[in-house]
Amino acid sequence: MKKLLTSLLVLIIATIMSCKKLTDLNEDTKSATKVPSGTLFSNAMKNLVDQETSPNVNLNVFRAFAQYWTETTYTDESKYDVFTRKIPDAEFRILYRDVLNDLKEAKRIVATETDIESSAAVKKNKTALTEILTVYTFHRAVDLYGNVPYEDALDIKKLSPKYDDAQTVYSKLFTRLDAAIADLNTAEDSFGDADIIYGGDVAKWKKFANSLKLKMAISVADVSALDPQGKVASAVSGGVLASAADNAVFQYLGTSPNTNPVYVDLVASGRHDWVPTNTLVDKMNTLVDPRRDDYFDDNLGAGVYKGGTYGASNSYAIYTHVSAAVEDPTNPALLMDYAEVQFYLAEAAARGFSVPGTAESYYNAGITASILYWGGSAAEATAYLLNPAVAYTTAAGTYKEKIANQAWIAYFNRGLLGWTTWRRLDAPVFNPPSGMTIADIPKRFTYPIGEQTLNNANYTSAASAIGGDKLTTKLFWDKF
Amino acid sequence: MFAQSRVIKGVVKDSETGEGIPGVGILVVGSTTATTSDINGGYSITVEGEGKKLIFSYVGYANQTVDADKEVIDVTLMPSSTVLNETVVTALGVSREKKSLGYATQQIGGDQVTAVKSGNFVNQISGKVAGARVRNNSNMGGSTNIIIRGATSIVSNNQALFVVDGVPMNNDATNGANQKSSRGGFDYGSPISDINPEDIESINVLKGAAATALYGSRAARGVIIVTTKKGRLAAADTRRRFGVTLNSNLTLGTIDKSTFPTYQQEYGGGYGKFYGPNGDEWFDKGDVTGDGTADDLIVPTYEDASYGGKFDPSLMVYQWDAFVPKSKNYHKKTPWVGAGENGPATFFNKAMSTTNGFSIDGGTNKGAFRVSYSNGNESGIMPNSSLKKNSFGFNGGLELNDKLSTSVSANYVNTRAIGRNETGYNDNLMSSHRQWIQTNANYADLKEIYELTDANYGWNPQSWTDPVVPIFWNNPYFQRYKNFQNDQRNRFFGNLTMNYKVNDIISLMARIGVDTYSTLQEERLAVGSLAQGFGIPSIAGNLGPASPSGYSRLNKNFGETNFDLMANFKKDLNENFNISGLIGSNIRRSSDASVWSSTNGGLVVPELYSISNSVNAPLPSVENAALYGVNGYFAAVSFGYQRFLFLDVTARQDYSSTLPVDKNAFFYPGVSGSFVFSEKLKNLTWLDFGKVRLNYANVGNDAPFASIADVYDKPSAFGSTPLFSLPNAKNNEDLKPEISSTTEAGLEMVFFKKRLGFDFAVYNTNTTNQIFNVTVSTATGYSSKFVNAGKIQNKGMELSVFGTPLKTKDFSWTVTLNYASNRNKVIELFKDESGVEVKNLQIASFQQGVTLNATVGEALGSLKGTDYVYKDGKKVVGANGYYVKTTTTDNTLGNINPDFTAGITNTLTYKNWSYSFLIDMQQGGSVWSVDMAYGLATGIYPESVGNNDLGNPVRNDVSAGGGVIFEGVLADGTPNTKRVAADYGAWGYVRNPNAKFVYDASYVKLREMSLSYHIPVKKEHFFTGASVGLVGSNLWIIHKNLPYADPEAGASAGNTQGAQIGVMPLIRTYGFNLTLQF
Repeated sequence: MKKLLTSLLVLIIATIMSCKKLTDLNEDTKSATKVPSGTLFSNAMKNLVDQETSPNVNLNVFRAFAQYWTETTYTDESKYDVFTRKIPDAEFRILYRDVLNDLKEAKRIVATETDIESSAAVKKNKTALTEILTVYTFHRAVDLYGNVPYEDALDIKKLSPKYDDAQTVYSKLFTRLDAAIADLNTAEDSFGDADIIYGGDVAKWKKFANSLKLKMAISVADVSALDPQGKVASAVSGGVLASAADNAVFQYLGTSPNTNPVYVDLVASGRHDWVPTNTLVDKMNTLVDPRRDDYFDDNLGAGVYKGGTYGASNSYAIYTHVSAAVEDPTNPALLMDYAEVQFYLAEAAARGFSVPGTAESYYNAGITASILYWGGSAAEATAYLLNPAVAYTTAAGTYKEKIANQAWIAYFNRGLLGWTTWRRLDAPVFNPPSGMTIADIPKRFTYPIGEQTLNNANYTSAASAIGGDKLTTKLFWDKF
Repeated sequence: MFAQSRVIKGVVKDSETGEGIPGVGILVVGSTTATTSDINGGYSITVEGEGKKLIFSYVGYANQTVDADKEVIDVTLMPSSTVLNETVVTALGVSREKKSLGYATQQIGGDQVTAVKSGNFVNQISGKVAGARVRNNSNMGGSTNIIIRGATSIVSNNQALFVVDGVPMNNDATNGANQKSSRGGFDYGSPISDINPEDIESINVLKGAAATALYGSRAARGVIIVTTKKGRLAAADTRRRFGVTLNSNLTLGTIDKSTFPTYQQEYGGGYGKFYGPNGDEWFDKGDVTGDGTADDLIVPTYEDASYGGKFDPSLMVYQWDAFVPKSKNYHKKTPWVGAGENGPATFFNKAMSTTNGFSIDGGTNKGAFRVSYSNGNESGIMPNSSLKKNSFGFNGGLELNDKLSTSVSANYVNTRAIGRNETGYNDNLMSSHRQWIQTNANYADLKEIYELTDANYGWNPQSWTDPVVPIFWNNPYFQRYKNFQNDQRNRFFGNLTMNYKVNDIISLMARIGVDTYSTLQEERLAVGSLAQGFGIPSIAGNLGPASPSGYSRLNKNFGETNFDLMANFKKDLNENFNISGLIGSNIRRSSDASVWSSTNGGLVVPELYSISNSVNAPLPSVENAALYGVNGYFAAVSFGYQRFLFLDVTARQDYSSTLPVDKNAFFYPGVSGSFVFSEKLKNLTWLDFGKVRLNYANVGNDAPFASIADVYDKPSAFGSTPLFSLPNAKNNEDLKPEISSTTEAGLEMVFFKKRLGFDFAVYNTNTTNQIFNVTVSTATGYSSKFVNAGKIQNKGMELSVFGTPLKTKDFSWTVTLNYASNRNKVIELFKDESGVEVKNLQIASFQQGVTLNATVGEALGSLKGTDYVYKDGKKVVGANGYYVKTTTTDNTLGNINPDFTAGITNTLTYKNWSYSFLIDMQQGGSVWSVDMAYGLATGIYPESVGNNDLGNPVRNDVSAGGGVIFEGVLADGTPNTKRVAADYGAWGYVRNPNAKFVYDASYVKLREMSLSYHIPVKKEHFFTGASVGLVGSNLWIIHKNLPYADPEAGASAGNTQGAQIGVMPLIRTYGFNLTLQF
């Protein structure tokens, strides 16, 4: 009996002793606690480009806002219903959580890295790269929403971040960008292969950063307090993208999950949600644009292109579809390109800002670069520029209308850029959905629905500061 | 004196029926002599020596001890459900006299969860325990939500803790986050359903903190103690050494049609007049006949709504099956008519389940055992769905000597399911049936074509030239037979216990309890299916990449071990005072590990479901490995004075591994007292029993595994570029334990010779320092953060009333009523580190911007979204003729908490017949129906057709006298007179605020009904007991306000309640039970 009792006691004590100590538990043994800075930089870059490129109705509806595409059956987003799918929440979440916070963390880690390759200059380059991409991302947020969380943002200790005045944010972004440009040392390495766009080429990043500065300066061209003229001049003298070889190209891969998001939503999903709009197709038909066979499929017969009525229910079968090239899984995405820079310069010249060339020369270079990028020939470009409706001197309208019309066509696969061009330059002529007027077409993006319940006080004051949290509220730079 | 040997005889009778009770155990106290009563309740036992006592015990009756001082001793035993000296099992397995308890417990017998079966005994608790809210859905083998006294935690688990024979049993649903939030996936059920209901002796529900404090951290949300049946000690010389019980059950189930859509039969597939070559006709036109002219009318098969052409039997059109080469209608026109009787309702099969089991129990005077086996076989209402369960149970006890005894319990359960139904929005046939369908989709044809072709020809192809490529919905039969999932779980649970009786005062107990299971979940997407997000996501929290086909498997192993050491003591200090208590420790270790793998980009070889059959290199497996534990030390002491005053004091200190080392200790004190005032009022003959009780206790809770240190997420690499990301949830190294404290008072009274009684409780629970993973503004860089904060108050009352309005020798009528109302309120939330107060927390977020929230000053679980705009109490209509929606989405639209719940059981017995029915109800509470928001938009329901106020078809063009004037006023207060088109979206989400689709979730249900007959047992019969029964459940929804669905239906167990997205219809079941005892 005693034996039994003793052995039981021993058994129990032995089992308890074999238990791990409490303090040895609670460790996630399957996740990393320390990672190289480059992995976060790459991830932020991919998330940013994915969001910029995605045509998913839950994430990015700017191809519709820009009237490049319109929906076939479920026309909610084409009619500017962004509530149902909480689209502003997705954009905001991706920018802050999936891009900016990873960039911030990458920057933090760079400062702590002590491996041999991390010389002071390389670290400085890496830090500057995270800053440039951070500025790009904040700029996107400001140009979408207006006032946004900036000073309080990305601080988990502040769960109710206040919103900062958009113009003030702009000014701070310029300062940050200038500092980053000054820190770039083109003789040194940076992130290497972790930089999915430029492969760590600091010289190209410098051009990208100056082009971003140009882009931002043109955005606020009518806000003299931000000295757009001076900003344009310093960007140009610092060196902007000089050719298509400098384009910020993100090369998608052939296999999931790294295929182009357009392929994912248009092909892999097996859905037929989008067709090109009459707004775009009609204009390109009128201009006999050589890019039509690059943008569009010939599903209605060779050379026949018909766009769906913007915002209406459109039968997929009877309208033109986007081209196989656009739908290709490996179709690259652009974060910034030479054509875009040329259009900014054209606008700067037309506005009388100090730039080396003329509006016409930049305009022609922009159009030519776009046609070449899309696979057209130099001859096609030349012929197109001879079209009186295209040629800068003979094309109808103000300089804004001329540049906007062509820039908008060139930005076909970049919805936000196309819509912003329309917002800034009030051209081309958009078609409001049935039952709506031009005044109903969005001028900004509404704040996330989640901010109403999660950050209500700051949301409310930001909404009133910008003139109401409406899609039709004009941003501070949108003066005309 | 010489020991004298004598024989005592007698009969043991039931105090209520006066009939003999067979099988009663009779033991001479202080000896090993024992026997059992015979078929008529008669017994005889040999007693040695003087001054002995006999103890009579039988399951379901109170024990009775008598002096062995006569030759004939007849004994009447009282059924324990009505006796006042009932003993119940309390925390840590301590048996206590119920009358001495200072807190609320409610016990139900095992028979109450076996009379009507449902695969999970927890479903049968519904309506039977005041304050326990049970919500189950009709998912085959689906999970059950059981919450006691309302939700106390905003985001942590609110499910009651299950303890089986003293050992906690895991009940964490393995459903993924997407399933819980109704995005999609399968409901893998509640693991507690592994308990074989036939093994349950009794269930005792410990409701408040005072009752549960000894269990430590997990008991804050109430404890359900399950006691299993045991073998009984018996004398070696009795006739009945073994008992065998056989039971058999057959149940059939059909859908309750009031919980399934009714489809309008006036208009067919389409979204409007958008088709044809110029986009202005109801049908597309093409050249099907090959005559060179594209003038053949073709249904727009690629649309999943019913705003198409008006049905007209004389209109001949080409429908989807006209393009299936094997179809009898190939290239044939068919009349344009609705599906009628062949609509989606015909899709459902009759559910059938059989449960067969047996148990053998027996014993000697030194030991007893019970073995049981049960086999369950269920086929669900969805085609190709089945669930099989085999459970084996053993328990045995052995008295090694006067002081030492041991018992062991071991259970093995194997569950296998095939074809569980999909849930949520994505790729769920029920979402199609409730939201997106053409009312002309004929399911008889769909079935026939699937069987004929084995391919995915369905009503919803991309175009008539691609008839086998679906655009939104698969052929439902293809989906069920090709894209089925399967899963299995192997579970072992049991315990080994040693008891050592040191002396009459002190006894020691040591126990090891083990609960472990492994599961495999496999999901398939057949080649030819609609492409969809499938398998491992490349970024944590997203759906998997869109895939044309695929295979996914999840292997998971869970294990929990509890070591308990406990010393009990009990002493009568003098005639007036007695004291008892315990001191002990509990060491718990849990491990949870899983690996999830899936193919990437599709399957190479069709119908070969293996990871290696992946088109692209599979993404890295998702691995999880969690180890966590708690060390607890506890003590309790109880005082009794003159059997009418009782006081209990308990204390427990826990150390949890999931909290920071310097904050990992937490202490739970509890004190409870009771005063049996009837002992002082013996002159009141009408009062049988009366007690007041009062208690206060704290219970605590620890944090989820690995929530105090940050790690990185690992998205799939971009080609050869590795990616890491900060996680979406920010952990917190400063977490403290959460504490909830409860004050409770109760009154129990029994009157009129036990013909009437009640148990009433009021309580107030405050939960503070809650640990939650709060949703935060994503401008912080995170989606959520673990914080400690908040103060949630739950106040409520519970009332159980039992009465016997009629009682004669042969007939009795008893009524049991359970009523509970709980009001919870968010008193405060928290301040962030910058000192800013947070006043609203988001618990869940649904489609269309609707959120479930905890808002300061409101009840936990308020639904928010867009509302109507009102002027002077009237809905405002805009200049466009449709209702104006608020631009804000933080309007409170309802609250998911009911005002009260109640259940009434009536039992009528006449001789050997017994008839019982349970009516179960909920008053109040809201439910947000995504099903209606979309379904009303797509025009599938009768609400969207018919005539308008002018007597014209409402769907006609406004110019043709159709359209609708929405009732309301313009912004200036004048009545709206604008007639607008009643087209796509007019009644649904497009044109209406979220508020329209928030419904009252009240219901009254005839939940259970049973009729049973106990076959009178005669001596010459081979068997010793037999009963047959007819049973039914969910027979009738007497009242509800939610159209076309069961207000209780939902995705699965968890805190994300209150939304209906592609829910299953309620299943009405009826069946037959047979029990035989030998």
